[in-house]
Amino acid sequence: MASGTDSGAPVVRPFPFFRAGVRTSPDAGTRPILELKGVSKYFQRDTPTLRGVDLTVQRGEFVFVTGASGAGKSTLLSLIYRKHTVDDGHIFFCGKDIARLTSRSIPFLRRNLGVVFQDFKVISHWTVFENVAVALEILAMPRRLVRARVAEALERVGLSGRGGETTENLSGGEQQRVAVARAIVTEPALILADEPTGNLDSHLAIDILTLFEEINETGTTVLFATHDHSLIAKRDHRLVSIEDGRAVEARRGLSSWPGSGLHALVG
Amino acid sequence: MDWKSAFTRARRGLREERRLYLVAVSSLSVAFLCLAVALLFMQNLGALGERWGQSNHLSVYLADNASDTDVAQLRVVLEALPEVEQVQSVSSEQARAEFIAQSTMGEELSTLPADVFPASLEIEVASGTPVQRLESLSQRLGSFGSVAEVETYSSFFERLHSLLSAGRGLAMGLALLVSLCVLAVVGNTIRLAVARRTREIEVMKLCGATDSFVRRPFVLEGAFQGSMSAFLALLLLSAAFLVLRERADDMLTALMGMRLLFLSPLAMLGLLFGGALAGAVGSALSLRRYLVV
Repeated sequence: MASGTDSGAPVVRPFPFFRAGVRTSPDAGTRPILELKGVSKYFQRDTPTLRGVDLTVQRGEFVFVTGASGAGKSTLLSLIYRKHTVDDGHIFFCGKDIARLTSRSIPFLRRNLGVVFQDFKVISHWTVFENVAVALEILAMPRRLVRARVAEALERVGLSGRGGETTENLSGGEQQRVAVARAIVTEPALILADEPTGNLDSHLAIDILTLFEEINETGTTVLFATHDHSLIAKRDHRLVSIEDGRAVEARRGLSSWPGSGLHALVG
Repeated sequence: MDWKSAFTRARRGLREERRLYLVAVSSLSVAFLCLAVALLFMQNLGALGERWGQSNHLSVYLADNASDTDVAQLRVVLEALPEVEQVQSVSSEQARAEFIAQSTMGEELSTLPADVFPASLEIEVASGTPVQRLESLSQRLGSFGSVAEVETYSSFFERLHSLLSAGRGLAMGLALLVSLCVLAVVGNTIRLAVARRTREIEVMKLCGATDSFVRRPFVLEGAFQGSMSAFLALLLLSAAFLVLRERADDMLTALMGMRLLFLSPLAMLGLLFGGALAGAVGSALSLRRYLVV
């Protein structure tokens, strides 16, 4: 196990980083967990979704990424978990440029990330246990260890003892908890949450946000993309807004950034 | 390679999508049945061609003036040949009596004189004797003064052989066409099954599964579907074959001179393994587009 202690909390990284035999830079443990340098992405010629985005995320940080619909929040995250490839620039994850990873190395990058989506992406006809365990089965973890780790993850998201239930019978909030459990069960270094509260009512949204904060308190870095200003306003986390394809830094939370135009931007 | 996990996931996939797989296996069984029927035709036409395509009989018609001594000598010479199995003398009277007995016009033909039917030596040669050897034997026999004519039936069998070859070629073409159809049906059926599970593939890919990890259970499921379909097709075909043989075996044996043959064990094994392979390949190819996540 490797660990970094930038924020004082250990960052657990139990799996081969990217690909067996591939070494990360020696100072990877001291570098920011995520650095985007001049990242651009074009889905249409001449109209970049992201243009020269620079962003640094330190280990153990909780960062809100916000912006209007279509601003490029999801695109930014998708470049990190390598659904898409950058057209220009570099993305360093633990010091390694993941923008240049070969397709064979992408699965190994994703094993170090937890990704949560607005539409939950749980498999409805599977049980809660199966939905969470799949992330560990991929790592060929022994069955006994899988059971223990899944039970632990379900306990952390408040679904203790419900592993045998079919996911389709759960409420939206519970399904999102299953998705969060799946994201954290491998103890990733970084969690990417792409509008995880978008399909939930405000009470459930707060519950889910609190859950991510609890995960963050254990040392996991969280990048939380949302356009829900009520959520942002309730918390004092670092805020990054995607405006006109660029990342604009706000100091702390929406409340500490009056008059910036962000209120109008996010509703 | 964690095959145990792949087998577990394949079993789960088959269990969860059993209705879909039942439909898929039914469709595939029909396709494999067509292929098996084409193979059965090929096999029987091949056997028929082998049975009919070669003559192992010679008729040596004796000259009118052939003396008994000449005929006896000729018979001794023939019996000494390694490829000759049996020599039988048929006199003019015997030939006439046999002809009248086999003919439906017995009354009218009974007035024919016996010398219209030449005496002959009917020779059975060992099966597998090359045609060239028969031709050379026929030429040598023709040079004997006591021999009027030698009939090898080769021209008849050549025509029959080419007819059967054409039939076999047609069945082979049909088998090839059916094989292509089977591949298309396998591919499309499995594509449907895979399309229903895109969410599962997406989730696994986002959790860091490699392409081979995702592909393996689907390939196993495809192989199982393919072999199961081929097995069902063979069961159906053998049932139909038994019914047909029970009802029409005597007639077919009389017509073709041989009993109907079922597929050889090799062909059956080929069908089973071919089914598994087609299923596995179809599955792997169908997955390709869904692996890009």
